[in-house]
Amino acid sequence: MRNIWTICRRELRSYFFSPIAYVFGLLFLGITCWYGSQLLRHEGQASMVEFFRLLPQVFIGFLPALTMRLWAEERKTGTLELLLTFPVSIPQIIAGKFFAAMVYLALLLILTLALPVTMAWHGKLDWYSVSVTYFASLLLAAAYVSVGMFWSSITRDQIIAFLLALVTLFALFKTGEFGQSLIGLLPEWLGGDRIALFVLALSPQRYFDSIARGVVDTGDLVFYLCFCAFFLHANALVLYGKRVKG
Amino acid sequence: MINVDQLKKSYDGISYALKGVSFEVAQGEVIGFLGPNGAGKSTTMKILTGFLLPSAGVATIDGLDVVRRSLEVRRRIGYLPESTPLYHEMRVDDYLRFAGRIRGVAGRGLTAAVSRVVSLCGLERVTGKNIIELSKGYKQRVGLAQAMIHHPKVLILDEPTSGLDPNQIVEVRRLVRQLGEEHTVMLSTHILQEVEASCSRIIIISLGELVADGSLDQLVGELEPGALVARVKGPRDTVLSQMRQLLGEEVPIEVDGDTGAFETYRIHLNGNKEYVEDGLAHLIIKNGWSLASLVRERRTLEDVFHSKTLRAQQEAGHA
Repeated sequence: MRNIWTICRRELRSYFFSPIAYVFGLLFLGITCWYGSQLLRHEGQASMVEFFRLLPQVFIGFLPALTMRLWAEERKTGTLELLLTFPVSIPQIIAGKFFAAMVYLALLLILTLALPVTMAWHGKLDWYSVSVTYFASLLLAAAYVSVGMFWSSITRDQIIAFLLALVTLFALFKTGEFGQSLIGLLPEWLGGDRIALFVLALSPQRYFDSIARGVVDTGDLVFYLCFCAFFLHANALVLYGKRVKG
Repeated sequence: MINVDQLKKSYDGISYALKGVSFEVAQGEVIGFLGPNGAGKSTTMKILTGFLLPSAGVATIDGLDVVRRSLEVRRRIGYLPESTPLYHEMRVDDYLRFAGRIRGVAGRGLTAAVSRVVSLCGLERVTGKNIIELSKGYKQRVGLAQAMIHHPKVLILDEPTSGLDPNQIVEVRRLVRQLGEEHTVMLSTHILQEVEASCSRIIIISLGELVADGSLDQLVGELEPGALVARVKGPRDTVLSQMRQLLGEEVPIEVDGDTGAFETYRIHLNGNKEYVEDGLAHLIIKNGWSLASLVRERRTLEDVFHSKTLRAQQEAGHA
């Protein structure tokens, strides 16, 4: 546990001692809060629904930029070699980096609380629904970070890591629509609607929407847990591969 | 302390970067690990530090298998990889604290450990600076400092002086010698004087195989002795024939210089280690010639390196 915390602290330090954290944070907050304030002005009602409709899309564009350097930079500068010879296990290093990204994102999400607070001032806000949806946002971000981290581990080029993560997240975002369009399309001998349901079940957005509706279902939590576990495990396999292939 | 037995490593499953290397290093030894580029030095070091998995063979450090008990082994090792990778955006003191913490140094011990390595490596002036602002020499010292912050039993340094200026090289060498008093050190380098200056034993590998292992004196002693060089003034043909009479007809002698002045006679005694100097001097003086100097050329580590690695390469070429 202490090793995870040591890695996590170093990562956070490198976020905040470089311009990344500030540029990224300002852009993220700027876009989300500007959009939110527009909503308030035009619609004149205290609701975070539109904000949370936008947030997952902002995540798709922004999170790959946050995660692209996590491994690619270490590979490029050679610090990965030193990191892997410290007396820390690979899962501990992965956990440390993952939690650092999550702590940073949680901080950003806390800052966006300015928006619902302003809204609550102007009208009556459903705080229960807002907090549940914030929770869902964090889960969705965790899923996306695990994808971005995985792609960052396979390359030493940050741009490639960014693009691969962006495309993957976008494709995942679209699986909902794709699954819907498959319903009733495939003949029974090809599996019929079972395929469509399977594709639908892969969409992280679907579980986000489900939680955002106000009911935190165990199934939703299990999905996010498995999703993150899958990509973080794949990440670990890439690093174990480094120990064989050099 | 370090025990390597038939270590093999292949990156692609076809060709081998290490073809079964074996050696032992006792506690407190400072080992110079030499070899041409691509010989497998870095690969060996990466396996010992737990970064790479060997394809076959066993390596142990302090009796612990580097693969099966990797974490315990890594706690006992300080490692400076080639090219000194560091987190450039961090401050020197923050980085050293991180390096200490991750290796299990905690609390008050951490502050003490940081100030110990800071003064040992002469980093006092730069502790508050970002690593990216440092000169190459200082970066190298930070790399050394992080490697020994946890007082490891074994230090593995991959080309610790590459890219440094002559003054910095002397500094790092002094540091390595100092480290050798408490730690077992294994360092790879291309600079042979460095090994002569700081190592108690030398291991040379070439093309993935061990080609030499011993102290400098041992390795130099195994070589054919250097030529005997005499500077003599006298009639060249008579001098040559008299020398041949004394040393044997088949001994090759090269002569260089102007007649009438001192000429240089290089006598290749090929494998003959007998002491012939006084006989030769006696001969020259008895004939009334002048003798300016009579010395045997010293064989150096460079000669050892060339003869061992070239032979390995030639054998590979013929095979």
